[in-house]
Order: sequence, then C-alpha cells, then structure tokens
Amino acid sequence: MNPGRRPRTTRLWPAFCLLACTGTAQAALQLAPIDASLTPAQADATRQILADAVRRLPAAWADALDERIDVEWRDDLPAQVHGRAEARQMLLRRPLLDGWMARPPGAGIDDPATRAALAAVIHELAHFYDRTPQGGLSRDPRLLDLAGWQVSPMKMGLRSSRNAFSDRSPDRYELASPVEFVAVNLEYFLLDPAYACRRPALYQYFAVRFGSAPTPSDCPPDYVYMQVSTDTGVPPVLQLDPERVYAVDYLFAEQNDRPLSRWGHSMLRLVICAPGRARGPDCRLDLPYHQVLSFRAFVDDVQISSWRGLTGSYPSRLYVLPLDQVIEEYTKVELRSLQSIPLDLDPAEVAGLMERAARLHWSYDGRYYFLSNNCAVETFKLLHDGVPRLAGKDLSSITPTGLLKHLRKAGVADASVLDDRDEALRLGYRFDALSARYQAMFDVARQELNLPQTRVQEWLDLPPGERAPWLERADLRASAALLLLEQAALRRQQLLSRDELKRRFFGHDADRRDDAADPIVALQDLLRLENYLSRPAALLSQTGYGLPQASERQTLAEESNVFAAQWREQSGWLRSEARTWLSPQRLSALDGTEANVDALGEQLRRLNHEQGGLELHNE
Amino acid sequence: MIRRTLISALLACLAATPAFAGSFSGTTAGSSAAGTSQSSGSSSGDDNKVVLQARDDAASFVASDGRIRGAQLEAALHYLRERNVKAQRASDMQLAQAILAL
Repeated sequence: MNPGRRPRTTRLWPAFCLLACTGTAQAALQLAPIDASLTPAQADATRQILADAVRRLPAAWADALDERIDVEWRDDLPAQVHGRAEARQMLLRRPLLDGWMARPPGAGIDDPATRAALAAVIHELAHFYDRTPQGGLSRDPRLLDLAGWQVSPMKMGLRSSRNAFSDRSPDRYELASPVEFVAVNLEYFLLDPAYACRRPALYQYFAVRFGSAPTPSDCPPDYVYMQVSTDTGVPPVLQLDPERVYAVDYLFAEQNDRPLSRWGHSMLRLVICAPGRARGPDCRLDLPYHQVLSFRAFVDDVQISSWRGLTGSYPSRLYVLPLDQVIEEYTKVELRSLQSIPLDLDPAEVAGLMERAARLHWSYDGRYYFLSNNCAVETFKLLHDGVPRLAGKDLSSITPTGLLKHLRKAGVADASVLDDRDEALRLGYRFDALSARYQAMFDVARQELNLPQTRVQEWLDLPPGERAPWLERADLRASAALLLLEQAALRRQQLLSRDELKRRFFGHDADRRDDAADPIVALQDLLRLENYLSRPAALLSQTGYGLPQASERQTLAEESNVFAAQWREQSGWLRSEARTWLSPQRLSALDGTEANVDALGEQLRRLNHEQGGLELHNE
Repeated sequence: MIRRTLISALLACLAATPAFAGSFSGTTAGSSAAGTSQSSGSSSGDDNKVVLQARDDAASFVASDGRIRGAQLEAALHYLRERNVKAQRASDMQLAQAILAL
C-alpha cells in the first residue's frame, strides 16, 4: 500500500547526492529529496537532516545501503506515522521538516524537533538496512531472543507471537513486530547515549553487528532489583554487581508428597561473595549474600484457581529473593529439599544472565500458564536468552526435572557435587527438608527421656501442654532435638491457623458478616501493594525506559520505601490481628507451642552456661 | 486422571500467595529460628544474620552428635572463626552449642 505516492514523472527537482561516501568507492548510499515544491531553505534543511542522520550511521550500515533512496516530505501520512520506507523511497512527515527549521540556533540532539527529525530518518534507514543481506537483524534469532519474541518449548521451538517485554518501553511501537523493534531500537542506539546502560545487551549486540557503536555513557556497574524485606533497616532496592557473583546454580526444589509440588520448582541461585571477599570457592558459604531468581505466578487472590492458571490469567513475575528466605520456605515450611547444582558459566555469561534477569524484572509482563509458561519454561528462557551459548543446546523443557536433565546432558550442570551427601549438605549443594531429620531428632529425645511414643508424629500430635513437662527434663543434646521438633510443631500450627482463617473468611461457607470485612479489605490492600512491588516498573511509571538509571534509582528508592513501609505496616497489622480471628482452640495450641519453643531456648542458654560453654553474646 | 495429575503437577512451581507467605502463614510472632530467638529476648550485638540463620542446623548438629552438618551451620562457623578469636579455639560442637544459646 502506498497512498498518494507522487508519480515519478512529476519529479522536477534535480536529485542530488547528499551523502556521503562512507569509504567504499564504488557504491554509496545516496539520499535524494525529490520534492519540486521545496523552497531553497527547505531543501537546505532537508540536506542538513539527511546528512546529520547519515553521519551517525555505523560504516557497516551505510555501506550496506549502496543504492539511491528518494526522500519525500509528505502531508498525508496517517497520524502517528513519522515516516515510511517504501521499496526505494523514504516518505517523511512534513511537520518534522517544519520543526527542524523552527528550532533554535545551535540546537543539539536534546532539542525535541532535532531529535524527532533524525529519529524518523534513522528509523527508516534502519528498515532499509534490515532488508539488505548484510542486515537481516529482525530475522536473527539472537535479536529475537533479546527483543522478547521468545522461543516456546510447547511450540517445538517456535517463537511466541507476542512480545511481553512491554514495561518501560521507550516506544511501544517496538512491540508491533521484530522489524519495528529493530528500527525503534536503532534510533535509540544512535541517538541516546544512555541506551548502552538502559539496554546493555542490545547495545552490545548492535555494537558487535556493526563493528562500531556510539560512545556510551558511564553505566553503573550493578543492576537494581526490588526486594522488600520485613526488616525496616533493609532498603527495598537491591543492587547486585555481576563482579561479585562467583557462580550461578540451578536451584531445584524437590517434590514432596503434596500434589502441588509433584514436579518440583526451578530457580537460579546467585552465589554472591560477601563484601571484601575475592571471588572464589569461599563465597559458597557467604549464604546471607546469595540471592535466588524465582519465577512465580502472582496470585492476586487468596485461592489459586487451576482454571485461571491454565488460561494464563496470572502474571508471571521474576522475584529476586534472599537464599535464606528460600531455604526457610522450602526446607522448613513446605518441607521440600533443595538441590543447588553449579552451572558451567564464565564470568561474562554470568553478567549476561544478570542483565537478562534485570531486563525481565523491569520490563517483562508475561502470563503464567501452568502447562506452557511455568517456572521451568521461564527459567529455561532466562538461560536461553541470557547466555547465547546455551541457546544452541537442547535444553527446552516444560518441567523442572526435565530442564535439570537437559542441563546435565548438555554438560552445563555438574550434579556430581551431590554424590557425597554429607559434603553436599555441608557445602550447600543440598539443603534437606527438615522433616527428614524429625524422626532422628525424636529418637534422640526418646532415648534420653524414655518418651512413651515411638513415632515422631505421635509426639507432634500431642497438645503442647502435654509435651511441656517432658521438655524441662531434657539435657542439652535432647533439648536441641526437641527444639527442632517444637519449631516443626509451631510451623504446623501456623499452617493450620492460616487454613482456618482462609476457610473462615474466604471458603465456601465463609463468614460474610460485617466483622469479616476488615481482614478481607486488609488482605486486598496487601495484595495490591504486593502487586506493585512485584512489578517494579509500576513504581517508575513516567520516567525513562529499560534499566533504571541514577535519577530513577533515586525516585525508586523514595517511592519504594513508601510502599514497603505500607506493606510492612499492613502485614504486621494482619499478623497481629490474625491471632484475634482464630478459634480459641487454635490460638491456645499456637500459644502453647510458642511457649514451648521459648522455654527450650531459655533452657539451652541455661544449660550452655552451666556447663561453661562458649557464650557468643558476651563478646 | 492423567490430566488431573498433570495439572496438579504443574501447579508445582506456582508459589503460594505471597500475601499469605508474608502474613497469615506467619500468623505468629516468629516462624523462623531468628524470630524465635528475638522473641525470647536474647539478642545481642553479635547476633549476625548468618549466625541466627544457623540455629536449626546447630540444633541438628548438637542433637545428632555432629552427624548432621548443614551448610547454614558451616557458614556460621566460618563467619565466627573469621571474626572471633575465641571461636577459633573452640570446637565445632562448642560453637554449635553457643549458637543455640544465643
């Protein structure tokens, strides 16, 4: 379609070569204005615009366009369309010329009219380049990975037709198609010095493809992610420097006997070194600094709906979580073991992976599908898109175990660290579900105290008040065993409390009276806050694109602090109020178990003191 | 039946509602060893996170007479020995007991 193309016979203005031979002698890009009605001043301005745009092109780009392209200013382009790249003709919106001519003297690239005109020309030249054999960027699998037309394991390796990297886009037109993505991004590549920092992987890609690139701004060495802690002293903006990452592990949560966990969960663990420690194997034990990349559906409701999960109505979010929290959640609450299997990646690949994680964190608004876009698929795509070498390996899988199997087969994951079970436990290649220890703990206590029960479950089923008298008689070793069991009992009580509240307020026979409104409203508020905090682009709605830069980081720190404080207040309130909504029976079990845990803590302190043990808090 | 299994299997990596993780499931004062320690009012300047996180592992170590040796304990032992002269001279068992006594 070419509405209103001017017939060539009316071309009266002599076409003239504006540019700019770029080094090769025989053929060179020529941009030729063909509008007879241009005044000399307009023709002059046209030459300036074209020359300025062409001057910015990398040589490889200009060289590939060894043809003449006619340039025409048009009044009949649809609204929002700044230009068109026809077969051998570039159509441009005339107001861009008017804007250029009206700009203040000495205007630079920061001037909106200057930028708009140059961007339009570069955008169209990008289309011309993309169509050449040397170009072909929009058909390059690597570009499609980076851009966000991701491969899909469910479609035999075909790519998704939708680009879900829609947050913090410089221009949402880039999402229309790979062809437009290339053109829009090349505008920014050439005109925005911050492009290198905002979209580092794409900048690198273009720089390599062209063999040259505009000088980038100084980029911060680290990437920022949102992470809200219950601890008020921890700011919600987490800065991670790839230089501090010693290794990346595939972190796999094993299945337990609950139906929801049958195939496990896929995550990636960043083995980050403590401040001041050189990158090396010792970093493996700097556990409080390790972080976990975990894709989860954001469930904006208290009930998980299988139907909604199958039909993709939950957003898929990349969470960056402290390893300690993940260990707690899986091994202590869900009672699932974790395997942490090192991936064979070099430092540059680790940096690429973290850049990709940051891009996902800030721009990705994908949907979670139980079958086709679950945690395993997302983790596979993160590895595939973040580490180009891995894109060449057959890793695709829709299950966490399948992905692990493929990683091992491809020689990327080295599971031999698990062979010696004790060493694996000691060095953190494996974190056992605490439940695996319960019977052993119980046997220690039973032997010492002659407990009448034989199975740990019978012991845990006793009301806390009936366990209490036994606890007092335990020596240090048995107290340690019983502490672990009381904590297990406490977590069990917490889960039961949660279920009770869920049934009371949200179940089929839920309490619909007015007094039920408070918790429901409070929980909805909390979910709203969590939605914000898990989609961090929402906190920076109006500024910039891509990865947040210095000034945005400032805004982010301020905004997120407000949200984090609200979240802490709200969840704190819920936590304390929740107790008042529990049945007296549940509350008494909860209180009793807590009292047991506290008493054992006190007892362990006393026994350690009595036997002259080391006392750390007196240091 | 197969279908149901498949669906429930794939619910696998769907995390529980974060709100619940943060609120109702932590209905009580402290769900973690750290929380427990804080609620029993014995915190002190030496209460580093890595040490507090090691409480469950320390309990397993002490109770199993050193047989169960988890990474969180190992990390705490390293941490203490890097900073504390007394810890350098103490045995693993003494340190594990000291962590439990925090």
